[in-house]
Amino acid sequence: MQFQQVKPSVGIVFDSDLGNGVDAALALALLYGLEGKGEARLISNSTSMSSLKSAAFADVLAKFYAGPPPAAGAFAGFERPLPPIGMPGDGDLSGDTAVLKAVLEKTTPEGMPAYSHGINRLNDTADPVALIRNAMTAQYDENCMVVLAGPAINLVKVMDLPGGLELIRRKVKLLALAAGSYPDGRTDPRVKADVAAAKRLLSEWPTPIVAAGTEVGDGLPFPGSSIQKDFAWAPAHPIVDAYCAFRNMPYDAPAQVVAAVLYAVRPDGYFKLSAPGKISVLEDGRTRFTPSADGPHKYLVIDPAQKERVIQTYAELASAKPVPRQNPRFRNNQKKNGAPPPPEPVNQK
Amino acid sequence: MTIMRKALHRRSFLRGVGAAVGLPFLDAMVPAMAIGQARAARAPLRMAFAYVPNGIIMNQWNPGYEGTLGELPRILKAMEPHRDDILVLGNLTHNTGRALLDGAGDHGRCSGSYLTGIQVKKTTVDIKAGVSCDQIVARRLAGQTRFPSLEVGLEDARQAGDCDSGYSCAYTNNLAWKSETQPLPPILDPRALFERLFGNGAALNPEARARQSDYRRSILDFVSEDTRKLEATLGPTDRRKLDEYLSSIREVEGQIERAEKTNAQIDPHMEKPYGVPADFAEHFKLMTAMITIAFQADLTRVVTFMMTREGTSRPYREIGISDGHHPCTHHQGKPDLIEKVTQINTYHATQMAGWVETLKSIREGDRRLLDNMMVVYGAGLSDGNRHLHEDLPTLLIGNAGGAIRTGRRVVYRKETPMCNLHLAMMERMGVHMEHFGDSTGQLSFADLT
Repeated sequence: MQFQQVKPSVGIVFDSDLGNGVDAALALALLYGLEGKGEARLISNSTSMSSLKSAAFADVLAKFYAGPPPAAGAFAGFERPLPPIGMPGDGDLSGDTAVLKAVLEKTTPEGMPAYSHGINRLNDTADPVALIRNAMTAQYDENCMVVLAGPAINLVKVMDLPGGLELIRRKVKLLALAAGSYPDGRTDPRVKADVAAAKRLLSEWPTPIVAAGTEVGDGLPFPGSSIQKDFAWAPAHPIVDAYCAFRNMPYDAPAQVVAAVLYAVRPDGYFKLSAPGKISVLEDGRTRFTPSADGPHKYLVIDPAQKERVIQTYAELASAKPVPRQNPRFRNNQKKNGAPPPPEPVNQK
Repeated sequence: MTIMRKALHRRSFLRGVGAAVGLPFLDAMVPAMAIGQARAARAPLRMAFAYVPNGIIMNQWNPGYEGTLGELPRILKAMEPHRDDILVLGNLTHNTGRALLDGAGDHGRCSGSYLTGIQVKKTTVDIKAGVSCDQIVARRLAGQTRFPSLEVGLEDARQAGDCDSGYSCAYTNNLAWKSETQPLPPILDPRALFERLFGNGAALNPEARARQSDYRRSILDFVSEDTRKLEATLGPTDRRKLDEYLSSIREVEGQIERAEKTNAQIDPHMEKPYGVPADFAEHFKLMTAMITIAFQADLTRVVTFMMTREGTSRPYREIGISDGHHPCTHHQGKPDLIEKVTQINTYHATQMAGWVETLKSIREGDRRLLDNMMVVYGAGLSDGNRHLHEDLPTLLIGNAGGAIRTGRRVVYRKETPMCNLHLAMMERMGVHMEHFGDSTGQLSFADLT
């Protein structure tokens, strides 16, 4: 039974190898921009890297964009704390990259960390499988989009939960897959990292899949010029630091994940879609697309007419200032009768 | 009773007219050649869940460290003497207690899902939850004990009506569910629990009950002949054990009688059945004394104990708090209300610590009774002000026959399902299930050892 009267904006499950490159970070920035406009809700954010630093980077972005949770002891009504960050717990946890270093080791002139986060040990993170499953259970049917930008192992484990496939089928409208090259092409490290999981995902995932291939990432890069000017409103910005650390500036960053997120939230008007078909994974990590009329997969195709607009949208949304979390309904209730407001669904900001 | 056996049967009873008193674990129950070797193995493992409502002031519950337990926060201070026998678990979550599109009603959901792991149906009429983990174990153990399970409480066993934003009172007032539509209401009345434990079912007709009551005869008087026969066969250690055990039953009887006599003095604002002690601590002590006896005598191995119903607005005048519990928990950050909730939480934990002391004091073979138990003490909400369902306050008391290394604070990963703990406990009780509720796997006892 679904008791809410107003269907909220689409919920996004975001599972990525955050920190490996910069496009997943840019995609998260874009997603927070869409959240600020009320077009989407980031309901679950997990890293597929067994790296506390990757999870810490995700937490930096969450705190930067969504603001700190209420101070302990302060009245927050039924406001929820920020959802935890999911991370696999079975690796060595020590993964590090130049991007992660740049963000997490940056300090203020006083020697303090420039960006705060709350992840220092494994149990500061969430089991990604439970996190993703739990987030899905709180969504209206088919009001959830999953964006995968890394090895598929977390999603495969969600599929393997009792009732997992049925839950996904019911709640998820689409999987936006930022991996592979289409209709064929070079090996994508995100697929190669776990070929077996990618094969299972593409053969058993129970909803339509739309893939954003490397060719879309390369053909519609994130403009480096935006980094230098549009983010200047913040004296220190984790996206700027990450971007500058990934490659020597100036450069335009491949934006495969950014395309996947934009499509998941705004499916119309930015990209063309391939004919339906089936994506398969080769042992060396390359992908192949085979057209078939009843195939469950498609891939994004760059629309030359929209190229400039897409890149402009990337820059505009990713550089948007954070919007304070608020819920006017609750505040009005408090003002009226001083009573605690009604609760809202979990993980909803 | 058969007392001619070389080894006394574990399920022997002292019988009399309208009475059947189970026996505690005695040396005489172990075959002579097996003493020492088999003692520990023969002691059964028990499982209990003691539930407190409305969440906890978590910064006064959670130790600020992991690993070996040292100084405990204010609410758990009374547990410090027992810290070697407890685990303070962190980050266990009940996702099915959350709204999940069902709107208001966190109290109804959190208790309904606590042992079922199910998102209960939001209704006041056609209730639907799931079989609770205690009942799964009880079903498996059926026939091994006189009662598959006992359901005990201290407040309000209403089963109908709207107790929270459209959720039936069946959800807020019960922990145990025999089927998805059949909750098992807790026994609140000490006399009713006593008669259930020691009465002989239908044999105790109203006349016999009246006669027993009129003459204020102890239940032990009815089984005195069997007692004498048994005592004659026991060694000195067993005779002492038996004497202590029977004394505890007589003490419970006395407490019940005192409560019945003083019934007229009960606070008129409190709805209580006849014979229920007005004082919370006294009621707690009486009911847990009977639970203890039930475990000792192996009358049951599964107990759920709902200290007060979820969402309760019970005041605690015993400790000077006349405001309702639930309104206080929506403290809105006000220090005076937070202080009151902390005092209530501490009061509950102090009673619990007293029970643990009792469980530790009873010998069972080479071990203490507590060593053959797993008792979960906890709540279905963590922060009662914000109605949070993560990092649920959870103590695991007892070491499950040596399977769990207690004395530590163990923090699991965020969103770890509470049902993972249930699954692991059921496994220890001999019930293997691949999954339960929204579990993602057994809570690893390797993590706990």
